[in-house]
Amino acid sequence: MVNLKCPICGGEITVEDDALPGELVEHECGAQLEVVKQNGKLSLRLAEQIGEDWGE
Amino acid sequence: MIVVKIGGRVVKNSLDKIILDILNINDKVILVHGGGDIVTDYTKRLGIEPVFVTSPEGIRSRYTTKEELEVYIMAMSLINKSITSKLCSLGKNAIGITGVDGGLLLAERKKRIVVIDERGKKRIIEGGYTGKVKEVRSEIINHLVKLFDIIVVSPIALDVEERTPLNIDGDQAAFAISKALRANVLILLSDVEGVLVEGKVINRLTPSEAKELSKKIGPGMNRKLLMAAESVENGVNKVIIGSGVKDRPIINALELNGTVIANG
Repeated sequence: MVNLKCPICGGEITVEDDALPGELVEHECGAQLEVVKQNGKLSLRLAEQIGEDWGE
Repeated sequence: MIVVKIGGRVVKNSLDKIILDILNINDKVILVHGGGDIVTDYTKRLGIEPVFVTSPEGIRSRYTTKEELEVYIMAMSLINKSITSKLCSLGKNAIGITGVDGGLLLAERKKRIVVIDERGKKRIIEGGYTGKVKEVRSEIINHLVKLFDIIVVSPIALDVEERTPLNIDGDQAAFAISKALRANVLILLSDVEGVLVEGKVINRLTPSEAKELSKKIGPGMNRKLLMAAESVENGVNKVIIGSGVKDRPIINALELNGTVIANG
């Protein structure tokens, strides 16, 4: 597990070691966060609101 | 003017019933077809393994890569021309187009989508070539209905920004066209007899009842109910969800067999 900081409230949040970029996690402050991987390091950013996929 | 949407299984298994029934209709018909299963067959025949994604809401959709988009356009165009040629051969004045033609259906590609990945985690991934309808150029249909009795429409839309055709949901195409035309009736025909609750068809729903029920029923039908409610709220007189595999499926729906969504 990796301990990261919520970019919204600064609180701690734990993410699995093998989390993939784009994975969504919810912090207890209510923020929905997206896992980002840069230079092998995991971090979090606020996830944009995305609707569902629409195709035939 | 009536808008009829036929699902992929109806196209595959009972297209002749639809064609024969249309011969008896005197109103102008906009026929939107699906064909997901047929696209999947062609994709496999061409050695491309289809990829499906599941949204957090539980809706399973095709993930359309560039390569798959090409197969999608080929298969949908084949379905469109098969329907149009049957109708024309039987003396109906029909034309087959896609949403790309004349820029009838303008859509926006979903650049990023949320899926439930193979590990069961909610994840944002790059979107494929699927889109959401943003605009219907209804004047194109209004011009065409002066010349033709039936307009067969494939669910392919144009993304002007990225200059590409897109795979769009057939139901969504039919709802968008119905709303833009303020159609008298929109009929959605699939392999079920209507909206089923505890095994029984619900006969009539107001838009607010449809929205409420959409929270309690399975993926696919919930989306139909939400869009049906929105269509009725936006000027479509009624939406009928009925069976496309029974005899005389369109007349049967027009006789209000199935689930009718209309204002009280």
